[in-house]
Amino acid sequence: MQDEQLENFLRDFQPRRPRVLPRDRHVWLRRFVAAAAAIAIFLGGSLWLGMRKAARPRVELDVKTQEPSQPRLALVPLTRLALEDPARMDQILSAASREMLPNLQGSDSTLRVLAKE
Amino acid sequence: MGDRKLSADDVRSLYERHGPALVAYACTFVGRFSDAEDVVHKIFLTLLRGNTVAPDEPLAYLYRAVRNGSLNARRNGARDVPGEDAFNAGDQCFSRRDGDRESALALEKALGELPEEQRETVVLRIWSGMTLEEIASTLGIPLNTVASRYRYALEKLRDSLRPYLNDERGKR
Repeated sequence: MQDEQLENFLRDFQPRRPRVLPRDRHVWLRRFVAAAAAIAIFLGGSLWLGMRKAARPRVELDVKTQEPSQPRLALVPLTRLALEDPARMDQILSAASREMLPNLQGSDSTLRVLAKE
Repeated sequence: MGDRKLSADDVRSLYERHGPALVAYACTFVGRFSDAEDVVHKIFLTLLRGNTVAPDEPLAYLYRAVRNGSLNARRNGARDVPGEDAFNAGDQCFSRRDGDRESALALEKALGELPEEQRETVVLRIWSGMTLEEIASTLGIPLNTVASRYRYALEKLRDSLRPYLNDERGKR
């Protein structure tokens, strides 16, 4: 009986209520890192794609500009031309040499550079 | 033990229902309310991370975790005895329902004077609402030991709190 009275008296006291459970920093940190990684992957991918697109037409352009300028020199037609029209053959060979050999007439031509030395 | 993990809702619900009693239990070892609250928060935040498999007896698990966490905290420098200092610092673990600070101070002082094993038995019995069998199972000790600790604790508390108990009888 006495114990019961004491127990009831003790139950009249209550444990202090703790504050609300704080948010877990680790969870937020993990979410932040995941979000940052996703953004980095997206930006990196976009940048890479952009650079690829920018680089591709340039290559095509180079090919296009070079293709028509390349003289089509073949042995049989040239031989025939040499026999039938030597002047025309000289013309074709001169044009081809201007395309294939370094420029000897410009201000920064190989010959001028060598001459200065 | 199953493979199910405790969901965040399970954890928050356990905290809502048992948080105050668990903090009171932690106070048994670390004395100050703020230290006890830190211990309990740390345990619940670990549970919220979702890496813990749901124990068969969540409550017994929580009390054991609080006990271990509190003893570690005490080893790492938290104060060890509840009492007047904590009360005066506004860091008391108990309050009386009618707001009487003097008797709350007396209770904390009386609890602080009990040997630790008796103090924890009283806290588990009175404020966690465990039976003596449940206390024995949670602490992993024989029922007779729990019963004798509880009996000795009540005797000492009756002596320490006699004036307040007499007041109480006078009121009724």
